[in-house]
Amino acid sequence: MINSYGAKAKVDPKDAKLSMAHFFVAFGALALGGLMGLLQTLVRSGKFELPLGIGYYQVLTAHGVLMGLVLTTFFIMGFQYAAVSRTAGTHSNAARTTGWVGFWLMTAGTLMSGTMILLNEASVLYTFYAPLQAHWIFYLGLTLVVVGSWVDGAAQIMTYAKWRRNNPGKPSPLLSFMAVINTVMWIVATIGVAATVLFQLLPWSLGLVDRVDVLVSRTLFWYFGHPLVYFWLLPAYMCWYAIIPKIIGGKIFSDSLARLSFILFLLFSIPVGFHHQLTEPGIDPAWKFFQVILTFMVVIPSLMTAFSLFATFERYGRGKGAKGLLGWFKVLPWNDARFIVPFIGMASFIPAGAGGIINASNQMDQVVHNTIWVTGHFHLTAATSVVLTFFGISYWLVPHLTGRKLTKAMNKLGIIQAWVWFIGMAFMSGAMHIQGLLGGPRRSAFSTYGDSQQALDWIPYQIAQAVGGTILFLGIILVVIIFINLAFFAPKGEEEFPVGEAENLDEKAPMVFENWKLWLGILTALILFAYTIPFIDIIQNAPPGSKGFKTW
Amino acid sequence: MANPELKTKQKTEIEDSSSLKGTFASVLFLGLFIIISWLSVYFLFVERF
Repeated sequence: MINSYGAKAKVDPKDAKLSMAHFFVAFGALALGGLMGLLQTLVRSGKFELPLGIGYYQVLTAHGVLMGLVLTTFFIMGFQYAAVSRTAGTHSNAARTTGWVGFWLMTAGTLMSGTMILLNEASVLYTFYAPLQAHWIFYLGLTLVVVGSWVDGAAQIMTYAKWRRNNPGKPSPLLSFMAVINTVMWIVATIGVAATVLFQLLPWSLGLVDRVDVLVSRTLFWYFGHPLVYFWLLPAYMCWYAIIPKIIGGKIFSDSLARLSFILFLLFSIPVGFHHQLTEPGIDPAWKFFQVILTFMVVIPSLMTAFSLFATFERYGRGKGAKGLLGWFKVLPWNDARFIVPFIGMASFIPAGAGGIINASNQMDQVVHNTIWVTGHFHLTAATSVVLTFFGISYWLVPHLTGRKLTKAMNKLGIIQAWVWFIGMAFMSGAMHIQGLLGGPRRSAFSTYGDSQQALDWIPYQIAQAVGGTILFLGIILVVIIFINLAFFAPKGEEEFPVGEAENLDEKAPMVFENWKLWLGILTALILFAYTIPFIDIIQNAPPGSKGFKTW
Repeated sequence: MANPELKTKQKTEIEDSSSLKGTFASVLFLGLFIIISWLSVYFLFVERF
């Protein structure tokens, strides 16, 4: 029995409290960040101007930071903390205290950065690229969010390590293993962003140094920025691989395949940052080429995931007596929000993944780079596949943690929410993709560029984005209503924390998957190989550096 | 002991429920979708640059 050692059917109330603390911050960020997103699409439609001197780029920064960093990191840490508690056993007091310290560090950092954005001292966009220069408190706040997430993640690693000590020679519970893989990937990846903030941006914004090396800071940012998107995605994959099979009443197709795909994500998510910098001068094309190859290696575990999910669904459907080539599709539990909400997320990952392969291809990047196509792309990956899965998780996890029930009414509202989201995103992301192919830039307020014909042709798509953004904002109102209901008002009861079992329980996962020295060794070697020489090149041939700019 | 006829019948059912032909069709569709999307942007690139 793969999941039984140390697993508890219910997350301990003390652990539940910490998870819920994360979710309150996450859903608060969603509400505020969602409003900012709505404002952005309205401004870009050209029909609306922000009141009170609020800047478009201020709103853009708030939207990006709240959604891309705060919502995701808090939700993921809260979910993984609960998943480890559920499958590897209740956290020790020491681990729980560590988790709380991490949570408060992250919260303090969020408040610091958020305040500076609201005071219009940090309109440096989501990527906070130098030479745009924010107030030093913004950078210090981000540092606290990152350091806090390390401490928070350490709590999960402590409980995983305790489980391993108590169960020598046995593969760890699948969900705990996956949570720890994601946490380790996050720690290794955030070293890059911590380095640029601590050694470049903080001293520079404090006035200790005059100039900043822009290419170094961008390279360190993308060393972090690409694995960041996998940090968002892997918790969704945890749900798809290990939780959805239980929800539908089926089995995990293969426990070992799931573990192998997570190991591959750990290895190939990080040494690939150059594919975000394909159009940047100052990096040798040979090293860009090498990192593009590694990027395409990440396609493999995603395709393994797609195969495995189809197989789980087909096995379940045929077990129910479904016939024909695709008859199994019809017997899936389409009235269960816990299934259909993440399922819409999975389906959206098909165009999202295809778009990603286009972005990572050097020539195609020349077509789409810095266009709003890219914005459309990550609103399919992060803002549809990932967040719909997170919403689907919260529909059973929040009542599980608060001792309540997902009622029929909330189940129905959850399904409506997901369809509203899907329709809004089809408008918004679809229009962004097309406008991007027509050359429409991202990170830009409304402009007709001197009434040039090309820019005028973009306007209908910008209006479609505002329509989509409005529908999506309705979706945000719905999900916040559901969250508040499940956290405070739903009837008391027991909601299951579903944990799937593998189809073949005799097939024990190979212990090599738990050999951290091996995987961290290969990971370090890959990172050093992919980055050392180009990084030396970048530093040796560095220009004098740039002074800070405040364009707002 | 099960009689041979019953055994044969049962085996056919097991084979059917373990079939992954729908999965095979689905991943082929997925692959085709990726290739078509990639090629359409590729031709856009060739036309423009």
